[in-house]
Amino acid sequence: MSDTIKETFFEELQSVEGLATLESLRVKYLGKKGVITEAVKKLSSLPIEQRPQAGKELNETKQAIEESLGKKEKHLRDKQLSERLAKEYLDITVPGRYIPRGRLHPINQVLAEINHIFSKMGFDVEEGPEVELDYYNFEALNIPKEHPARDMQDTFYISDEVVLRTQTSPVQIRVMEKKAPPLRFISPGKVYRCDSDVSHTPMFHQVEGLMVDKNISFSHLKGILETFLKEMYGSSVEVRFRPSFFPFTEPSAEIDISCIMCGSKGCRVCKETGWLEVLGAGMVHPKVFENVGYNPEEFTGFAFGMGVERLTMLRYSITDIRLFFDNDLRFLRQF
Amino acid sequence: MKITLNWLREYVDFNDDAEGLAGHLTMCGLEVESIEQAQDDIVLDINVTPNRPDCLSIYGIAREVGTIYGTALSFPEHDFMAETGELDFNVDILDSELCHRYAGRIIRNVRVAPSPEWMQKRLLNCGIRAINNVVDITNYVLLELGHPLHAFDLSKLYGKKIIVATSGRVSNNNSPLRINLLDGTERELSADMLLINDAERPVALAGIMGGSNSEVTIDTKDLFLESAWFEPASIRRTSSSLGIKTESSFRFERGADIKLLKKSLDRAAFLIHKIAGGSICGKIDIYPKRHHPPQINLSFEKINRYIGMPIPKKEVLKIVSALGFQVEAFTEGISVRPPSSRRDILRDVDIIEEIVRIYGYNRVPSVVPEAPIKINSQDSQAKQRRLQLIDTCRQVLLCQGYNEVVNYSFIGPYDIDMLNISKEDKRRDTVEIINPLSQEDSLMRTLILPSLIKNLVHNLSYGNREIRIFEIAKVFIKGAAQLPDEHNHLAMLMLLDKEKSLYRDNTEDFFVLKGVVESLLDHVGVKNVDFVRSTEPFLHPGKSADIVINGCNKQVNNINTLDDALGKIGFIGVLSPQVVSKLPVKLQRQEALTAEISIDGLFFASADNKPSFAPLPQFPYIDRDTAVVVDEGLEVGKFLEILYWVTKTEPLVEDCRVFDLYKGKGIAEGKKSIAFNVRYRSSDKTLSDTEIETIHERLVRELLLKTGGSLRT
Repeated sequence: MSDTIKETFFEELQSVEGLATLESLRVKYLGKKGVITEAVKKLSSLPIEQRPQAGKELNETKQAIEESLGKKEKHLRDKQLSERLAKEYLDITVPGRYIPRGRLHPINQVLAEINHIFSKMGFDVEEGPEVELDYYNFEALNIPKEHPARDMQDTFYISDEVVLRTQTSPVQIRVMEKKAPPLRFISPGKVYRCDSDVSHTPMFHQVEGLMVDKNISFSHLKGILETFLKEMYGSSVEVRFRPSFFPFTEPSAEIDISCIMCGSKGCRVCKETGWLEVLGAGMVHPKVFENVGYNPEEFTGFAFGMGVERLTMLRYSITDIRLFFDNDLRFLRQF
Repeated sequence: MKITLNWLREYVDFNDDAEGLAGHLTMCGLEVESIEQAQDDIVLDINVTPNRPDCLSIYGIAREVGTIYGTALSFPEHDFMAETGELDFNVDILDSELCHRYAGRIIRNVRVAPSPEWMQKRLLNCGIRAINNVVDITNYVLLELGHPLHAFDLSKLYGKKIIVATSGRVSNNNSPLRINLLDGTERELSADMLLINDAERPVALAGIMGGSNSEVTIDTKDLFLESAWFEPASIRRTSSSLGIKTESSFRFERGADIKLLKKSLDRAAFLIHKIAGGSICGKIDIYPKRHHPPQINLSFEKINRYIGMPIPKKEVLKIVSALGFQVEAFTEGISVRPPSSRRDILRDVDIIEEIVRIYGYNRVPSVVPEAPIKINSQDSQAKQRRLQLIDTCRQVLLCQGYNEVVNYSFIGPYDIDMLNISKEDKRRDTVEIINPLSQEDSLMRTLILPSLIKNLVHNLSYGNREIRIFEIAKVFIKGAAQLPDEHNHLAMLMLLDKEKSLYRDNTEDFFVLKGVVESLLDHVGVKNVDFVRSTEPFLHPGKSADIVINGCNKQVNNINTLDDALGKIGFIGVLSPQVVSKLPVKLQRQEALTAEISIDGLFFASADNKPSFAPLPQFPYIDRDTAVVVDEGLEVGKFLEILYWVTKTEPLVEDCRVFDLYKGKGIAEGKKSIAFNVRYRSSDKTLSDTEIETIHERLVRELLLKTGGSLRT
């Protein structure tokens, strides 16, 4: 009897193609009124000695049916899933929904780098007003009203006594007026000069630095600035210090690096000299110390300054400074 | 300052070529900017810094060259036999504060003609045009020795007399004096300007330019040659107020050599006699204010300490004396008197610079100073937090696709007018530049928006799409104090190209930007701000908001006008159509969105924001979603306020939020549906559905009562 049940079951199972027919097949055989249940009921009509054997066979048949149904169901479900997945095909080459990264303005990128190098050397950051008193911008820095050094900087005036700062050096004075030595800081920021062409804009950025303590010497100025320039431009860069003039430093220096464009062979950028001027610096003038109430016999120090636009132009070979302030996205997205 | 090599070699001997010389000069402070071949000579262009008027001459450069190469210097020939006898000419200095010395010579019977070719060539190589032999010789000596001279036609000086006095002193009535100058212009003179006058009228603007009334011409026979010393600041004031810059004024305002004055006069007389003939008569030399160079003491120890290396005493003495300083040496140091040409040398550090610049900056070792590690003070911690906040803003915006721009701080009056900013608005209190490059750049900006609008226009006109930009910069508001208020602002501008996007959605641009702003606030730890309907005159009234610190009762910054809400730290919104219509570009159907927030405001609002820990909940939550129908005019902000107020007293409410808004089919006209979720949780037991059912029903009932709404069915 079990054999016949098995045989017909497997025949019917063969033709099953969907989960619904599979379910009716399950009910037909294993349901409350299913084939197996009916067969169990009929067991009692068998002679008593045949019952155990027939019962065992029937049980095995039931298990075989259950197992086959399970397998078939898994098979059908897998098939259904893979059919669905096949339909859910995407063109994965379509660009994703993303926001292109924004870019930091190249000047601020270079500024951040300068800040980083000096902060590693223990320099703080100090800030000051951009609209500044003539006193802080000039007089306290040893540039009196009729001094020819005022020619070095074309100034925007707000009134007789108020200017747009032409340098970030007034921050030095403001900080020294408030704090006692030792001091070690840089002051980055915007400065203004009444000038406009391919290499000048009426506003640009400077980083100025100051270090004051007992026994700070010219060789320390060289040490700090050489370290900075080698961090900034690589250890193979050559650094040259030559005498110059700033009213608020004595001795004063201008600092050149070997031309990074041509490798010192001479090119348009370095005007065939093989050198690029990148920094101005010097030992703080004793007059400046006297103006803020420091004793120049007790304290010495050095100050330095650099134009961030120039350093940025050198880094990326940009030839027109005005591009920085057009803020054309085609320009900004390059950095 | 241009010099020629052949000319230089007349006064100093050195065994080097132009390149080598240029290198040495550059490394001792006289930067050579160019070397050019000029026929049989070489022209060096030297950048002379304002502190070194002594190097504004061939002879001055020769002194440096002699010091560098250790070779001797020879002074140009200037000896002659002057005629004896009474001069019959007088000089009076009435303003000796402005003219410390005045010397002159009379030369009779000269032949004015073109100067010899060699002289013309040298002048031209150094950038001076030839005129006639007399004038050329004064210019030649100016270049040679650096002292400006002036030649008058003696016959045109009335009263046989020179009076050195200010315009104010010689003018005998109140009307200002006028003078016709050699450049063909007529100038009105103010009272403080120093003049050279004859007995009747001004004949030269002292130290700057001669008058045409006493000009040397082809008919001139007798000369009066002037060599004087004028006070630098006075020359500079006159020169800059009249806008006249000459080779002469350039040198006087930097400081001429009061001692060299007489030798220069004689050198010029010598050359005139030699080239233009004539006889030199006796001299006049009035010297009311003697120059006394300072005596400066300097120890070897200070030199070494200041430079950071020992410089041999012998080297120090050699350098200082080669530069023309009088030196006395002691065991401990030196005592020095600078030459009259070096008025820039006033104190010991000036001498140190002279020593080290000749000794060689590159011979000084580079030493990294030892300095203690610093523990930050309170002040610098606050400062660091502030810098960090700005940095965080930048990072958040970069990640949101915003590009940073940097604009000039300038705007023009139109930029404010176009934003419809009212007369009473603080943002009209602009700082004005007296001498702007143009009217459009004559004001310091009081908000950043105008600059971003310009960036928008620029980028659109070049076809750039998807504009997301931001700037962090200072704005300037004029106040009662001498200096304006300066505050950092963060401003953003967004213009999306939604129609040409692969992924379209219906989110209003306002909410896109508001999302960016909220994300920014979140990152910098600002929690308690409200978005309140804005009345900014340049924003779309229906699509704009002020950003206000919740419950703040003080004015935290200057972004707002006086009658604005307290605690306002910024605004956000769609640029109003009135503003957009004034732009030189068309925006199609896009909206331009902008936001501007005070960094001070953000800093203030995030001030005390330290994280604190609360243990994670132990028991499960139960969510309840409900939709209610309310009047269309009830804003979600108001609805949430009511929802928070209603649920505030129920301790089992953990959180509630709005998750759906709907208008249209199924909802009556003038109404809208708001769906919200309330999450319940107890801290000490597992809640049952029935327990929550009662509470939720009660809360919804209260909410409906307060909002005048009904359950959505």
